[in-house]
Amino acid sequence: MERWKQYLGFFGLVAVSLAAGVWGFSATGGALPWAKRSAQALQRGVRDGGGALVDPGRGVVVAGPIRNGGTMVEFVGLVVLFAVVGIGLYVYVDRYRGLDDEERATK
Amino acid sequence: MAHIHLGEGSFPLWALALWTALGVALIAVVVDRIRRGGIETRQIALAGIGGAASFAIFQLNVPVWGGVHMNLVALVGVLAGPLLGTLVALVVNVFSAALGHGAVGLLGANTLVNASEAIVAYYAFRALIRMDWDVFPASASAATVGLFVGSVLMGAIVVVSGVNGSALPRADLTVAVAGLVGLNLGVAVVEGVLTGFVVQFLASVRPDLVGLDGRRGRGESSGVTA
Repeated sequence: MERWKQYLGFFGLVAVSLAAGVWGFSATGGALPWAKRSAQALQRGVRDGGGALVDPGRGVVVAGPIRNGGTMVEFVGLVVLFAVVGIGLYVYVDRYRGLDDEERATK
Repeated sequence: MAHIHLGEGSFPLWALALWTALGVALIAVVVDRIRRGGIETRQIALAGIGGAASFAIFQLNVPVWGGVHMNLVALVGVLAGPLLGTLVALVVNVFSAALGHGAVGLLGANTLVNASEAIVAYYAFRALIRMDWDVFPASASAATVGLFVGSVLMGAIVVVSGVNGSALPRADLTVAVAGLVGLNLGVAVVEGVLTGFVVQFLASVRPDLVGLDGRRGRGESSGVTA
């Protein structure tokens, strides 16, 4: 493809992206009421539960909305479920690899 | 580049489970394909270097509306391929979440977002190269397109999930998140151009590393050797 066509396509992409970026910047700059409200709402979790997972001063941090919302049991259940699935996958892959190696050896 | 910065517990539990399950499924498919197909040593080296660079630039947060930053995952996708690019996205997100940058509960969602950038960037780059594009516009455009897809996916995940405690109606949330997606697209241009320069340089000194050793005589030599 001719080089000018390539750069035409590239700069077209740049122009569209920059236009979207400028719009996004102005729209999320806090100038509009909904932008302020949504920024507050979206970042509530950061205040409640943000930070490192293991904090020497606080121990293991569980998010505020989970801790205060009464969903600790469900949350712990999910963690245990994913841990079991993860260990199960590890064991499966370990056994599967053994079979695969034997197949290769016979070939 | 696209990265969900909401805190722990911001998503409803069903959404947390859904995105985590999808992320686990994606990683399982990737690991299975790597096991069956194998990977080249050069890809591992590139993925390692790219992962380190990605993690470093991940932490340079511009404090606009929850934070916007580059992540170079599209670059890793172009250099190391979609499979290792996905694994690098997971590793970078795990380390970042451990530092408090991104929630641990959103690892699945964030891995999906960043993996989509790596995967789309890789296939877009290969498609453009097959169309006989030069390396710079091909890699820069591919990275920009990959980041565009990641940004849209990020916005879609937030809108579909909803946010705990948010009083915003879903329509208003969509408009608000669309602004953030637009903001990310502006940053995507910067990261796309940066990716283009890096791939262009690598292609000029070691085209074999980028899988372009068959492309000669395109007038792209920078006169640099390594």
